[in-house]
Amino acid sequence: MEGVAVLFSVVYQLATNASFLLLAGLGLIVILGMMNIINLAHGELMMLGAYTATILYHRGVPFPLTVVAAFVVVALAGAVLERLIVRRFYGERLGALVVTWGISLVLSQGTLMLLGPFMPSIPIPSGSVSIGQYSFSVYWLILTAVTALLIVALGLLYNWTTIGLYARATMQKPDIARALGVNTDRIYLLTFSLGAGLAGLSGALLAPTVSIAPFMGQQFIAPAFITVVVGGATNVIAGALGASALLSFVKTPVGFLLGAFLGNVALLFAALIIIRLMPDGISATFQRWQDRRSRLA
Amino acid sequence: MTDEITRKESPTTESKHATSSALETDRRTLLKGAAAAGGLIAGFTGPVYLRDFNYTQSVRAQTSEPVKIGFIEDESGNLAVYGIQKLHAAQLAIKEINEGKTLKGAPNIGAGFHASSGEIANTPPVISKEGSNLDIVGDPGERHQSELLYEEVSDILVDSNDRGILGREVRLVSADGQSNNTVWQQLARRMIQQDKVDVLVAGFASAEREAIRPIVDQAKQLYFYTNQYEGGVADANTFCTGPVCEQQVIPTVQYMVEKFGPRCYTIAADYNFGQLTAAWTKAFIPLVGGEIVGEEFIPLSVSEFSQVIQRIQAAKPDWVMTLLVGSNHHNYYPQAAAAGLRLPMASTVNMAQGYEHKRFPAPSLANMHNAIQYQMEVPTARNRAFVKRWMEMFPEDQYIGEMAQNTYFTIHLYAKAARLAGTTDQETVKKALELGWNIEAPEGSVFLEPGTHHCAHPIRLAVCDENHDVSFVRDWPVVQAWWLQRLGVNLIRHPEYKQYTPAEDPYFNMFVKT
Repeated sequence: MEGVAVLFSVVYQLATNASFLLLAGLGLIVILGMMNIINLAHGELMMLGAYTATILYHRGVPFPLTVVAAFVVVALAGAVLERLIVRRFYGERLGALVVTWGISLVLSQGTLMLLGPFMPSIPIPSGSVSIGQYSFSVYWLILTAVTALLIVALGLLYNWTTIGLYARATMQKPDIARALGVNTDRIYLLTFSLGAGLAGLSGALLAPTVSIAPFMGQQFIAPAFITVVVGGATNVIAGALGASALLSFVKTPVGFLLGAFLGNVALLFAALIIIRLMPDGISATFQRWQDRRSRLA
Repeated sequence: MTDEITRKESPTTESKHATSSALETDRRTLLKGAAAAGGLIAGFTGPVYLRDFNYTQSVRAQTSEPVKIGFIEDESGNLAVYGIQKLHAAQLAIKEINEGKTLKGAPNIGAGFHASSGEIANTPPVISKEGSNLDIVGDPGERHQSELLYEEVSDILVDSNDRGILGREVRLVSADGQSNNTVWQQLARRMIQQDKVDVLVAGFASAEREAIRPIVDQAKQLYFYTNQYEGGVADANTFCTGPVCEQQVIPTVQYMVEKFGPRCYTIAADYNFGQLTAAWTKAFIPLVGGEIVGEEFIPLSVSEFSQVIQRIQAAKPDWVMTLLVGSNHHNYYPQAAAAGLRLPMASTVNMAQGYEHKRFPAPSLANMHNAIQYQMEVPTARNRAFVKRWMEMFPEDQYIGEMAQNTYFTIHLYAKAARLAGTTDQETVKKALELGWNIEAPEGSVFLEPGTHHCAHPIRLAVCDENHDVSFVRDWPVVQAWWLQRLGVNLIRHPEYKQYTPAEDPYFNMFVKT
């Protein structure tokens, strides 16, 4: 029984760490990984999602519905941002970086002015299960499952649907896509809204576990960028999945044995080494390895 | 009003006031030393004791211009949950000062007695017949466990016979530190050099205080730090009016070990406050038969605690010492509750400051213990009156925390000291403060110990139950901030500008088992 408890505890810690990284990076997978926009407003989009969920929850809307609503609201907000500002900066990486940073300041300070410095939080849904001396939050087990489902859904959308095909074409060769009759303008709009909506969705999913405040987005920025950049852009979804698993395998044992501080140090150090050795990210290295193997075969 | 009149009037009115309040004290209390102290205070008819004060200079400085109270707190960012309460406290205190009100209290001139405005109960207390404890039945028939012969005064706010400070309006010059140490330094420079504030009241996190203290010292700025903190600041320009480790950690740890068992797991914020408070816990716990089975420092940016919770469960402690700071860290409580971690908890900061028991759904904070000096639930008549005044001014506010109350009485204390000094000249006010002051705050009687610039406070052990209601299970009428005295700090005779750490006192590793 003791052995089972320890094993389950280890798996639980690996899963929560990995799904935290993936949830933080979910919207950024689309906006940075696919569209190649360094979106520094990512944390604030998550914050908008968390605020939408919190406000609706306290008006009596059931929590799962508030998560859906957060997706819709932040996707619409993303569409407005794309139309008004972001689309003027496609292809200008540094320009996009500065403008999204500006958007992040406006969103967080604006929220502070309109809604004040905090909001009452959402209670964490469902209870706990205990095995031996350890007990586990059911909500985090659900979050892990939901994260896995979201990643699979995103992968299917991207690789198996016509919209996904148009999106990939638009991001790789916009001129040719346009020549073949793809409305690239609309594809850009849809992809950016999808990324924003996913950021809002994950913000809402994480809302019960964090304090709801205008600057709450900042805590997600570093994990989000690390996950997506370590994963690389060659196959962004598989990359992010691999990055979160790898980083969680580094962070979890160090964090458990030596504490949260050294766990974070280990995570950042691992990211540093991986990016030094594989500058295009895990997915590019994996792709090269696979290509070589298929050539040999 | 000309300068001439100001000079003549203000010291005399003030000394009359001081004399009469001392005489009242003498009549009302049972303390024999009061007469002597009254005599000393009566010596203020002319500024005899304060004869070193440079009156010509201070009178020249005295105009009808407002007295400027510089005030920096975090109104946004990770620490805003505390900063806004403190801002409201300052606004309330300044409004009262401008309306001609003050808190009871007087300088002690070294006599060092407490509770200067306690009143004798109308009928003598009787010891109850049933029970072997010393039950004291008070006036309306309720039972106390206390042997104090004073009756709690119903309110502590009295007339100051002054409008503002020395007839000058008091104005708040406030700015938002944005939970960012660099911004704090810029703001401190601006307030001192540009706004030329008469007093600076600022600082939540110890890192913020240490960021601005060199700037304060360079300008010899009179500075009040009103927060509960880890202790050890010995700075001739700084007055620390919040409680420190020796006043809170020791009562808390003693109670927890007695009630729940010896094994303690500490999780603390990873900066000077958390590190040093954890060092106090570690140094003291062996003396009451406890031990630290795990200690973990958590960066302020961490908000996800699943792994920390698993580590705590692996160590099997009897109780957890949580020294968590900021809205990121506060997520620990709901996360621990959701993960089924139901261990008793203790703290010196949580609940009393960030009112986690009001912000998070029950039972996240169930079984939390904190030896507080103040929190909104303190069950005294004077505190209820204070809470009522506050809520009339700020009806939207959810809570009044420890450091908000400190800010409130500190600004009143400054006003009293400046009135006695007859000027807002900073060096003179510092000297007036170094007389040693007794002030009646909503928490109870506070004594500003002149040599170390720290305060003796009443301490109460607050416990939070399953429904997040707070009750008080132990009561220490006065706990001294004794550690700096032990180290031989006397800022009046030997001015210093440093912060002592436990590493400089052999006490801290005397009992630790290695």
